Amino acid sequence: MSDTSRVRVSIVGIVVVVLFSTLLARLWFLQSGSENSLKVQAVAESTSVVQTESTRGEILDRNGKVLVKDRASWAVTVDRGLSKATATRVLGQLAEQLGKPIEELTAQYNSQRQSPLKPAVVALDVSQPARLAIMQDPQDYPGVHVMELTVREYPQGELASQLLGYVGQVPSALLGKLEKRGYQPGDDVGLAGAEAAFEKYLRGVPRQETIEVDPTGAQVGAPVKVRPGRPGDNVYLTIDSSVQKAAEDSLRQGIMSARHLQDVTYKNVGFRDLKAPAGAVVVLDADDGSVVADASFPTYPLNWWVGGISTAHYETVQKDNALLNLATQGMYAPGSTFKLVTSLAMTKYGIRGVSDYYTDTGQVPLEGTVFHNAQGESFGPVDLQQALTVSSDAYFYTVGNEFWRVWKGGETQRGLGLQTQARELGFGAATGFELDEASGLVTDPNWVKRFADANYKTQQQKAEHGTWYPYDDIFPAVGQGDLQVTPLQLANAYAAFANGSTLWHPHIEEKVVIGKKVIQSVTPTPIRHVSFDPTTRAVMLAGFQGAVSQAHPQGTAYTAFQGFPLGQVPVAGKTGTAQVVGKGDTSLFVAMFGGTIGQPKYVVAVVVEQAGFGAQTAAPIARRIIASMNGLPTPPVVAINQTPHD
Amino acid sequence: MATRPGSVASRVEASPLRHADLLLLALPFALSGLGLLMIYSSSKTRLAGQGLSKFYYVERQSLAIVIGVAAMLVVLAIDYRRIRDAWVLVYIAVLPLLMGVLVIGSRHKGAQAWFQVGPLQFQPSEITKIVAVVALAGYCHAHRNDLDTGRLAVGIALAGFLMALVFLQHDLGTTLVILVCSFSVLVVAGLRPVHIGVLLLIGVTLVGAAVVTGKVAAYRVDRIVGFLDQGTSNQPVSKQTQAEYSLTQSKVAIVDGGLSGEGLFKGRQTNLSYVPEQHTDFIFTVVGEELGFFGGATLIGLYGLLVWRIWRTARVSSDFFGTLLAVGVLGIFAFQVFENIGMTMGIMPITGIPLPFMSYGGSAIIASFIAVALVANVNMRRFS
Repeated sequence: MSDTSRVRVSIVGIVVVVLFSTLLARLWFLQSGSENSLKVQAVAESTSVVQTESTRGEILDRNGKVLVKDRASWAVTVDRGLSKATATRVLGQLAEQLGKPIEELTAQYNSQRQSPLKPAVVALDVSQPARLAIMQDPQDYPGVHVMELTVREYPQGELASQLLGYVGQVPSALLGKLEKRGYQPGDDVGLAGAEAAFEKYLRGVPRQETIEVDPTGAQVGAPVKVRPGRPGDNVYLTIDSSVQKAAEDSLRQGIMSARHLQDVTYKNVGFRDLKAPAGAVVVLDADDGSVVADASFPTYPLNWWVGGISTAHYETVQKDNALLNLATQGMYAPGSTFKLVTSLAMTKYGIRGVSDYYTDTGQVPLEGTVFHNAQGESFGPVDLQQALTVSSDAYFYTVGNEFWRVWKGGETQRGLGLQTQARELGFGAATGFELDEASGLVTDPNWVKRFADANYKTQQQKAEHGTWYPYDDIFPAVGQGDLQVTPLQLANAYAAFANGSTLWHPHIEEKVVIGKKVIQSVTPTPIRHVSFDPTTRAVMLAGFQGAVSQAHPQGTAYTAFQGFPLGQVPVAGKTGTAQVVGKGDTSLFVAMFGGTIGQPKYVVAVVVEQAGFGAQTAAPIARRIIASMNGLPTPPVVAINQTPHD
Repeated sequence: MATRPGSVASRVEASPLRHADLLLLALPFALSGLGLLMIYSSSKTRLAGQGLSKFYYVERQSLAIVIGVAAMLVVLAIDYRRIRDAWVLVYIAVLPLLMGVLVIGSRHKGAQAWFQVGPLQFQPSEITKIVAVVALAGYCHAHRNDLDTGRLAVGIALAGFLMALVFLQHDLGTTLVILVCSFSVLVVAGLRPVHIGVLLLIGVTLVGAAVVTGKVAAYRVDRIVGFLDQGTSNQPVSKQTQAEYSLTQSKVAIVDGGLSGEGLFKGRQTNLSYVPEQHTDFIFTVVGEELGFFGGATLIGLYGLLVWRIWRTARVSSDFFGTLLAVGVLGIFAFQVFENIGMTMGIMPITGIPLPFMSYGGSAIIASFIAVALVANVNMRRFS
């Protein structure tokens, strides 16, 4: 080797020594502790707290039949924030793999009902082969994860949808409020019905794990800290699912049948069928205010919500107003069913005695206006019992007018006896029911004045509309005018009448159970005690019995109860037909039965919108429910075409 | 070449194995054994997570080591002077391989560079490094007495052609390795300072032109910027480029190790699979995290020993080719070690250069064994 080469090889050696020394120095610098700031960063980046929701509690009926429960389901989720092209490609591949239309997966991915902060659930109940195929080729499915979720299941199918309500991911509007209570984006929360009302029992306590994650956010190894969760408690409702089913079936059958009947209130103008778009049924136990059934139509299957409701389903539900529980949220003029209140007020405030006769000529001129009976029928001389049986409007119009005259005469308190009696029976105020409810409306001179002051500009208008006119008493006396009641309020008032002493808080919660241990049992609480004059109550009960009795062909529900074994199952009832501006009449019927003749145990209230006279649609529906509850044959409901009057 | 005294004639007759540098031959086994441990540690969690055998990479790497040892034995058996005299054939033989991958190679992470041979991938660029050294050393040896500027230019052209073919595979790392080892050979062969200055100017002009005209892929610019910018880069993970992210995670792993390390198979960053490409290009981070400064320094020390034995071979070689070959191989190893470990610690830009004997990758392992075999070959035949 030449000397030059030798020198050059030495230089190479020196360069190498310098390079390796640099490496050692840098390694020392990094590892001897001077760069500890990086350590903190590493921990913060690689741990995260994951909250896993516990199994949600079950909802059961009063007999322990499961209405709602959780079940496990293998789900496929797709991350948010994928580019549009990637998302389209991934959804296409998933559609092929899962054998589902791509439109369905795309709709799920884009659904507004899923949290934008969590991966979107695009398919549930994914088969094992499909799961394996997806997991084995992760590069073909960017952003796709397979995970086990728990979802709600409804063993009774489409039963009590509005009553049970649904769960969904925490809506962004509620997120702030719910986060303080330990909810995270994407958590399930009860959003309506019993699921919402009993959220605090059903949710349980979520499990919290502090985990270490890899750069993709996937968990690695066992959690470093765990706060164990607790499954939700089971809630027993006072609902009897067999009665609930009978109520729903009967309501639907009655409505479908009514849609084939001619709307007679319309016959002067032309021919059209009853619309019967919606209705509700409440079955109450009069002895304690527990709700045995609460049906609302139109309805929909609750499992539409499972895994996030599709846009098409959501639009259907919205269009039908199927989310509303009409039994508690629907407000209706009660029509003649309100004569319960008028009768009680009339006797209590000395307007007319139970045996005083009034001669019904089919029409009556009052304060310059002629008021007619429905269809202009006349019943001749009627006392209270007969007036209720045949539902004489003229009888009660005059009672209403008399109240007004008393009020006008300066006896303000007695003159407002009708309104006082209505409120005493729970009208015009929320009942304290656990689920969403409307309060209804009972007007009085003060209300009329406040309403006019708030809604009219000129003093003249305020004075004109703020006046308590005769019709403000005459119409409510027959359940018309500004009166608004919910089917639940109506049933509850009749329940107080039926038990003869107590207006209960209606409720559906029976007890809350962990495992087999009852942690909370609901004791019925009264809204107030109501005293009924025994004679008046007996006469009225006889009047209500007459309405269905087969001994009184003039009874309003005579036809509806033809062939019903009243000797075996005594029924008392009151029909109602409420006129609604711009719409067909509301068909109402309230029945009392069970227990003893003098003290019926159950109240059934049926309200069907735009379905003709109370006896036409509502009464046959109530009849089938009563038959079902008493083990009688239950042929499908057929709405009645020919009725003498309301 | 000096004529040996007659008194040593008996040693000439004996097997050259008697003069083999056992330390030089032992180091590849030590390094690749440690490499297997580190590959296992870095990939076990990820593989298990994918439902694959935890030994998937270890098994394939072991197979490559076996092939590498076999190749080493074959190379040792051939007198290096026969290879020296056949340098033209060696050079020509690698050309169809390099052109072949350009045509049929499959695309992978920006580098298009391998043949599928059964279950293994054969990457011609790895062997090209050695071919470049053998060819340049052979060429310079053949013209050892008349290496003027023109002849040196031919040598540069020989290396440049190989570099161009490798660069066309988007393999910047290997291109740089060939550049460095060729440069080392040429410097020792007689490159003068003025030549070096001219070459530097040409190089800077070419790189500058490539960047300005956008012929350099964006990820490569990222890597350079990520390397230069690391002191000021405090962006959240989501905003970081792949290069910044790799560098941060890599440094965090090494810092986590501290002086004594977190213990074999216990590295947190490693077990969480935080460092991208950890079983290949970032294998040093496993050493840094799990074995700490002591382990890392020991590994650098092992490479130091290896480089020292190669350097010593350059000094004791019986011919000019042997010296140049050893210097070239020294250039390959020293540069790869410095660049690879340097990038994991943020003092060199990120390029896809494997750590010799440690990184997962069959072709690199086999090429490394062959390179050491060539040097050992020169060493043990220094008296013949």
